[in-house]
Amino acid sequence: MDQAAILDHQFVVAAYCVTWTIQLGYLALLGLKWRAQKRNSAPSSRNPH
Amino acid sequence: MKKFAIGLYAAITVGLMVWGFYQAIYVAPEEQTMHEAQRIFYYHVPSFMVAFLFFAVSFAGSIGFLALRRGHPDWAQAADAWALAGAEVGVVFCTVGLITGPLWGRRAWGIWWTWDARLTTTLVLWLIYVSYLLLRRFAAGPQMQTLAAVLGIFGALDVPIVYMSTRWWRTQHPAPVFGGGPDSGIKDPRMLHAFGWNVLAWLAWGLLILGLRYHVERRQQSIANQEAQEALNA
Repeated sequence: MDQAAILDHQFVVAAYCVTWTIQLGYLALLGLKWRAQKRNSAPSSRNPH
Repeated sequence: MKKFAIGLYAAITVGLMVWGFYQAIYVAPEEQTMHEAQRIFYYHVPSFMVAFLFFAVSFAGSIGFLALRRGHPDWAQAADAWALAGAEVGVVFCTVGLITGPLWGRRAWGIWWTWDARLTTTLVLWLIYVSYLLLRRFAAGPQMQTLAAVLGIFGALDVPIVYMSTRWWRTQHPAPVFGGGPDSGIKDPRMLHAFGWNVLAWLAWGLLILGLRYHVERRQQSIANQEAQEALNA
């Protein structure tokens, strides 16, 4: 493998890794938001006062 | 039943993502001029396609909110939740496109960025929707949703400009892959399949997180209403 081919490969790996990091990071953020909502809404629904 | 359907959809989406990755890396042949770096295309272009679709969802939601806010406040809140979900998930996909683009450009053109029409209008689009999200996050008061809806409509007007930019102006960015003249289109069927599978996979993934974001926002609205009611009753 020549130098250019190695660089090409590294750029593809970087692009795919960045894509997955952003997408999964956002999904995790949504999951945390979802969990926080569940936690915050639980006491008020149990306690009507 | 609903949980099962969502789980099944998520499983199909993951399967599509794996299949799309396999097609892009192992099945699609290496392009002759850009070599392996061209494989970034299979993530870069679908990301923008999905981003534009979700900005259209935000546009429709914003119009819906403005049209329904007086007559049908409940429907208007649902429209507003779609507008916010579309904008936020659209920004995620647009961010992916704006990062993978320079990575590809560095190998194809030798530069990370250039202020040509396609890149500049796309950056402006991203900045408008980031402003939309900042407005939603930090502004308060009854006018916030209305202002956000107007900004959401204004931002969506940039989408056709981004799409047409490579046709209207001479740019560094390549001509459109589809509908860009007699030489456009993907000639190799293996490349076309890899592209098609990745469009499908990212669309399925995008719809999954769009639905999740919508439900988070609807729940947030319901909590806010409940808290307001409790404050009134106290």
